[in-house]
Amino acid sequence: MKKEITKYYPLIPVFTAYLFLFLVGKNISGMWQLVAMLLFYCAMGQAFNIFLGMTGYVDFGYVAFMGVGTYGMALAITNLAHIEGLGIGIIIIGFILALLMSTLLSMAVGAVALRLRGAYFAIATIGVNEGFRFLIEGARIWNGSEGLIFTAQLNQILGREAASSLMTYWADIMVLFIAALAAFVTLFYMRSKIGYALTALREDEDAAKVMGINVTKYKITAFITSACFAGLVGATSWALKTPYVFPPEVFEIHYTIEAIIIVLLGGAGTLLGPVVGGLIYGISKYYLSIFMPGFQLLIFAPIIIIIIVLFPEGVVGMLKSRTKGSVLARFII
Amino acid sequence: MFLEQLTGNLIQGIVLGAVYGMATMGLSLIFGVLKVVNVGHGAFIMVGAFVTLWLFNALGINPILAVPVAFAVGMGLGFIFYYTTMQRLIKAPELATLLATFSIGILLEELVKLTFGSEFRGYNWVVGKIDIGVTVLPMSKLYACIGSVIIALLLYLWFNKTRAGSAVRSVVEDSEGARVCGVNVGGAYALSFALGIGLTVASGVLLTMFIPVGINPYMGGGYTLKAFVIAVLGGLSSPYGAFFGGLAFGLIENGSYTLFALIPGVEPFALTRFLSFVMLLAILLIKPTGLLSTK
Amino acid sequence: MSLLKLENITKRFGGLIAVNKVSLEISKGEFVGIVGPNGSGKTTLFNVISGVYFPEEGRVIFDGQDITTLQPYKRAPLGIGRTFQIPRPFASATVRENVAVGAMFGTLSGKVSVDESLEIADKTIERVRLQEHKDKPAGALTPVEKKLMEIARALAMKPKLLLMDEAMAGMHPNDIDQMVAFIKQIAVEEKIAIVSMVEHIMRAVVGMAEKVIVLHQGSKIVDAPTKEALEDPKVVEVYLGHPPEE
Repeated sequence: MKKEITKYYPLIPVFTAYLFLFLVGKNISGMWQLVAMLLFYCAMGQAFNIFLGMTGYVDFGYVAFMGVGTYGMALAITNLAHIEGLGIGIIIIGFILALLMSTLLSMAVGAVALRLRGAYFAIATIGVNEGFRFLIEGARIWNGSEGLIFTAQLNQILGREAASSLMTYWADIMVLFIAALAAFVTLFYMRSKIGYALTALREDEDAAKVMGINVTKYKITAFITSACFAGLVGATSWALKTPYVFPPEVFEIHYTIEAIIIVLLGGAGTLLGPVVGGLIYGISKYYLSIFMPGFQLLIFAPIIIIIIVLFPEGVVGMLKSRTKGSVLARFII
Repeated sequence: MFLEQLTGNLIQGIVLGAVYGMATMGLSLIFGVLKVVNVGHGAFIMVGAFVTLWLFNALGINPILAVPVAFAVGMGLGFIFYYTTMQRLIKAPELATLLATFSIGILLEELVKLTFGSEFRGYNWVVGKIDIGVTVLPMSKLYACIGSVIIALLLYLWFNKTRAGSAVRSVVEDSEGARVCGVNVGGAYALSFALGIGLTVASGVLLTMFIPVGINPYMGGGYTLKAFVIAVLGGLSSPYGAFFGGLAFGLIENGSYTLFALIPGVEPFALTRFLSFVMLLAILLIKPTGLLSTK
Repeated sequence: MSLLKLENITKRFGGLIAVNKVSLEISKGEFVGIVGPNGSGKTTLFNVISGVYFPEEGRVIFDGQDITTLQPYKRAPLGIGRTFQIPRPFASATVRENVAVGAMFGTLSGKVSVDESLEIADKTIERVRLQEHKDKPAGALTPVEKKLMEIARALAMKPKLLLMDEAMAGMHPNDIDQMVAFIKQIAVEEKIAIVSMVEHIMRAVVGMAEKVIVLHQGSKIVDAPTKEALEDPKVVEVYLGHPPEE
């Protein structure tokens, strides 16, 4: 039993970081906005890492899962607002719908794209977000390019005051829980057969097959898990925090780029990486947008190139090899 | 009436398709030789568009003459990015090259935004138009189409008639074999990468003839997706396959637009873009080596 | 009873025939050497057996079951383990994790837990004497250590048949003798049939083998007990380039 617990030690630094963020936001006035942004980046990084980090496959269309998650929550609220007495239950329905929609989309995309390897996979996914956006706009699904606005409905169901505290505080707490849950699932995968299978297929897919690993099954598992968390992040950080959804905003490839930067910066495939990457990226973006507005990408693009060429392991990857053999190694993976 | 409109649009499609094809040859060349997918492809097209814009508006230089300038700029950029970045990543996992080319694309977009701003721009090159009955073709588009065909032929000649060209071909066939036969494989990689980028930047010049006021630092994204569809149609690693893939894509794009426009209550332009995404997935699913390739 | 039976296997790549109508049988616990120069179709044959390629013609029967078109990941648990010509470790994972993967996914019951797999890995690693390196990333091993690691990984699968592709290439002659003796010992103890593939007629490997099969340009030209095979004029011709002198 004791051994079972030590397996989960690496969650300690992750959860400590999240607790610290929460306390900073709660106790230092004016910090909550920054903390909320950092939580969003950490959650998105944790979610994306389950696929990109663990399989080594690059999904350029990842933001599409956040987008459909946003739509899931938005559709639940806009369509069910008239039902009396649903109260907070509508948000639970929204989460279920968000999960369902991101699962379905990931199964559809995965069924095609995961048959393909490496570069071909990346090419297949690069159009997913755009494709889905143009489907919604072109066929005028879910109000087409006009999007959905549901501030009024949210006020109507929850009351003005509760709705406002949901948008400015509770939604961020939910993001915190989603990030923590994603970290737990990541570690659970790492410690189980799934993690071993994913490592093997990331390193050498053909050899993994010959070793008896059903690579398709494990790739799809990671893909769907990662997409579900993306759906939850979208439903919370986008739909609940800002109660509207416009197709060009929630299918913007920019967010995929941010997720990639966070995962790489922190260390792809590590547990602590997305937290470290999310914090470094979020804090630098926040201060860059104050001191050098409009220059964030210009600064981050060469940074990614430098990381890829010189530090492909990322911050946590380097920490991991530095601490090898010491007591710290049990906590940093 | 409808048939006439469709024919007219299909002719426009062929003219545009030739330029699309030429704009994809660089992508296929780089993949064929280095096995690297240039995810930043569209950004290089954008660079070509800005070269044209700047030469025309600041110096009054004819867009046709911008083609060799853009090609030279592209070759230069290609060598710089090859020796600073790509060379170190040839043996790295695919993840690395994909993200590196992606980041190079972002870097270019941001640099251009910093220099020229992010608003839409254009230039006004008056060369008249030609009426062929079913449709009216601006001469500028016709020049772009002819220019594309000439460049494709020049590339063909370079591959088949020059020493450097045949060295690159031998690397495509079998890089180990080429090394044994005394081919400078590293040099062939650098040259192919630079040539691929040069072609792509040059194609940006020709593409401006179709979007007189659509020049913008972020215009490349749409072309990246189109280029992937075209490259995959043509087999991804063959520049000539890409050229014919471009022709096919131009026809499909314009043909489907005409058809979608008949459906009430939809936005045909957005549906055309959705269709290209569906085509990409469908081709990858059915035959990843390309519908037009014989392999 | 035969463990592995190939019936008229043909595998083509485009217009080239890599393996041409090859039939062979391997019995339980047998040590077989497959000899053939580069390009003779050895590796292709291994890939057909382990399921990386499906043959155009012919059948693969393993342990009484037709596995001709069975997915590779389903074959490993039946008892087919293999090593690669150029070692293919899961480079970022440690030696221990690499070997554990074999135990975890490659065994028949399919119900070996992660902890049990790691225990099996520890024991198997000791057998190949890599215990000092077990927490190193597999990518950091020397080529010979990588080969040993691959053998351990395959043994952790508890195979009935172990396919070894050029297991001794690049080794010092003394190491080869030791290695072959070690493999032979394992094969006898655990009743594993071993098919060892070599490019040249290596005294050490062939000497241990009970049977030698010679491939030449995709076809089987000799399949006989070791002593007979070595004296076969066709073998001499393939390896010396001319018929044996009288």
